[in-house]
Amino acid sequence: MEHFERPLSRRQLLQYGAGGLAAASLGPLLAACGGSSNSSSGGGPATLKMWWWGQQEAVGIQKWMQDTVAKFKANTGNTIAPTLMSTDNVIPQFTNAAAAGHPPDIQFLFNGIYHMENVWLGYIAPLNGLVSDQVLADSGATQLSVFEGKQYRVGFYSIGFGIAYSKELFDQAGLDADNPPQDWDSFMSACDKLKSSGVQPIGAGVKDGFFGEWYLVNTLTQNLESPADALNLFIGNLDWREPKYHEHWVKLQELKEAGYINDDVNSLQLYQGIQLMQTKKAAMALDTTPDIPNNQKQLGADNVGYFVMPTFGTGAMAGIPILDTQGFGIPAKGQNQDVAAKFLEFMHSPERVQAMWTLSQQIPANTTFDASVVDDPLIKAIQEKWVAGDHNAYIADLMPTKFWTDAMFIASQKILAGDMTGEEAGDLAHDVTETWKKQNPDMVENYTKWGQDLNG
Amino acid sequence: MLRTRPWVPYLYVAPAIALLALIFAYPIVKVIDFSTRLIRGSTGPRVGTLNYRLVFEDPTFRDAAKHSALLLLAVPVLLFISVVVSVLLYERMRGWKLYRSILFIPYILAVPIVGIVASYLFSLNGVVNSILRGMGLDGLALDWLGSERLALWTVMAVIIWREVGFGIILFLARLLSMSEEPLEAARIDGASWWNRLRYVILPELRGTIEFYVVVASITMLAWVFAYVYTLTSGGPGTSTTILELYIYNQGLRNSLPGMASAVAVLLLGATTILIGIRFWFNSRRSDEEVTA
Repeated sequence: MEHFERPLSRRQLLQYGAGGLAAASLGPLLAACGGSSNSSSGGGPATLKMWWWGQQEAVGIQKWMQDTVAKFKANTGNTIAPTLMSTDNVIPQFTNAAAAGHPPDIQFLFNGIYHMENVWLGYIAPLNGLVSDQVLADSGATQLSVFEGKQYRVGFYSIGFGIAYSKELFDQAGLDADNPPQDWDSFMSACDKLKSSGVQPIGAGVKDGFFGEWYLVNTLTQNLESPADALNLFIGNLDWREPKYHEHWVKLQELKEAGYINDDVNSLQLYQGIQLMQTKKAAMALDTTPDIPNNQKQLGADNVGYFVMPTFGTGAMAGIPILDTQGFGIPAKGQNQDVAAKFLEFMHSPERVQAMWTLSQQIPANTTFDASVVDDPLIKAIQEKWVAGDHNAYIADLMPTKFWTDAMFIASQKILAGDMTGEEAGDLAHDVTETWKKQNPDMVENYTKWGQDLNG
Repeated sequence: MLRTRPWVPYLYVAPAIALLALIFAYPIVKVIDFSTRLIRGSTGPRVGTLNYRLVFEDPTFRDAAKHSALLLLAVPVLLFISVVVSVLLYERMRGWKLYRSILFIPYILAVPIVGIVASYLFSLNGVVNSILRGMGLDGLALDWLGSERLALWTVMAVIIWREVGFGIILFLARLLSMSEEPLEAARIDGASWWNRLRYVILPELRGTIEFYVVVASITMLAWVFAYVYTLTSGGPGTSTTILELYIYNQGLRNSLPGMASAVAVLLLGATTILIGIRFWFNSRRSDEEVTA
């Protein structure tokens, strides 16, 4: 099984918002105003600009970042000037600064298409030859960071995807809270028992569309043989109208029609839906691992469980946890690429990898991480199963945004409103894919090449 | 009399013209240029009218155009409420200054705040439905923003609620600047309220009404993005997707600035026509006045 990863943060990334428009125009200006980096070509210490993101999602990671920057300066004499970017701007602003020829020296990168578009524009340098092969291999960048055999990212921290639940409500419904359902029939049966006990089985909010994305990743994956299948669906080489490729939407329709999802799902946003679980108004919610501490805070540490989406699919990827990572890369026009590469290597030094947990309680994206330092049993179990164990890519990282806005977003909302069937959603996805191909002939070519890397 | 060469006056105004061209003409030219290219990064190859063809073939665009057109139905509603309320205030009913301030308050609220608050108010289990249920009107407690059937009308209601303040103040300002003699004469002649409105006030407001209709129409076509984005993000489905949101999605989310520019050019054309109609009304009225 391939090992890939991707974060929850497509969420806000897609909310470029009107601010994104402003960023598009201000980006180059800001970059120009920011001044250029102090080059180390003369051999002396350099000052490098780094645009990063993560504190918004992995609360506490800033402490580790500050410590890492300070220790790097102490060790090498080089200064890293980090700027914590807003979610909306971190990628668009980089794209604009790179287009203007004034990128930072080190750039935060979401996984998959979010950085691959910049790779295709020639804005990001391949790391092979800059960063040591060992770090590239250990850093958890995932296969989605590879294009034409070259790797463009190193990992940062990890994010697992699954279902969070209240053990107390499971107990009340007569379910075995320590053994959550693993297959679809058991899952539906559990939902039925929860509903019978007067509890809303699943809390969700699809108004902003991100529940639809998480649901699709957790379920479509089950009928795929590899991430390349997902890519081929998104570019039309496989057909959404085949039953196995829209079965996940049929299952969503079943959940809706059975009344297992809250009836105000179309009125709520993603996190408002999750809050239903955190406030015991629902028993389960699609969630990510960085949110687990918050769930524990709300429900009590011993009262929270987390499990992989129960399986109905028969693909090679079924039943395997989904993991993603955030990451960093080096801009193609960065003036201090060697020092930037040293900093990325320093981030992945054994001491720094361990420090990410001890300082920030986040799981690093590095396969050499020694999880014995994790003392929380649930987080430890998640680390062992989602990170250290076999895991799937977050296939939404392969999704063209047109598909996000015109197919996934619409299908999930309409199904949950009772206005569309799962089969009709397959037809919609097919039509949107065809439209996307017409509108993006050059992207189809790039995607096809990328698919060759995914096939490995 | 001082004599100068014929081109000298043009020289004097040239800097101002250059500045205006830089501020207004260049962006428009650039948008038109983008609309004929497949933009990747900051530029791309020319593709002729392909972006326009792709736009018209895209069902999401057709939905968006339909919804933007439907939002124009808010204009007569805004006009009616604005005129009636401003006339009532003009009659100086008791406490009219307080009412005037209260009615204008929504207009000074930031649109995203209005959108976010309204999205809480109108959610299925939100404040509005809680009140309705509390009054025993469960049948009216609908999914205002979560239903494809209702969402666009709910968005329209929120827009009207906020935008109507501008219309009221605009018409009231015109009424307050109007000579009171014709109205006084009408009163003395025994004209009813309705007749005073129809034969005295409305003719006086005619120019302002024309202006307001054009401005409100442009608002509905090109200035409601923030409402839609914060209230529904275009959903459920595409039921509240409007042209501005389509431009945003194509330009920023889908990395297709060429197609986004094509729609922007079409929108610019539509608003230009509206402004043209306004000028046509103006010139026709001037002609009528000259004839009279």
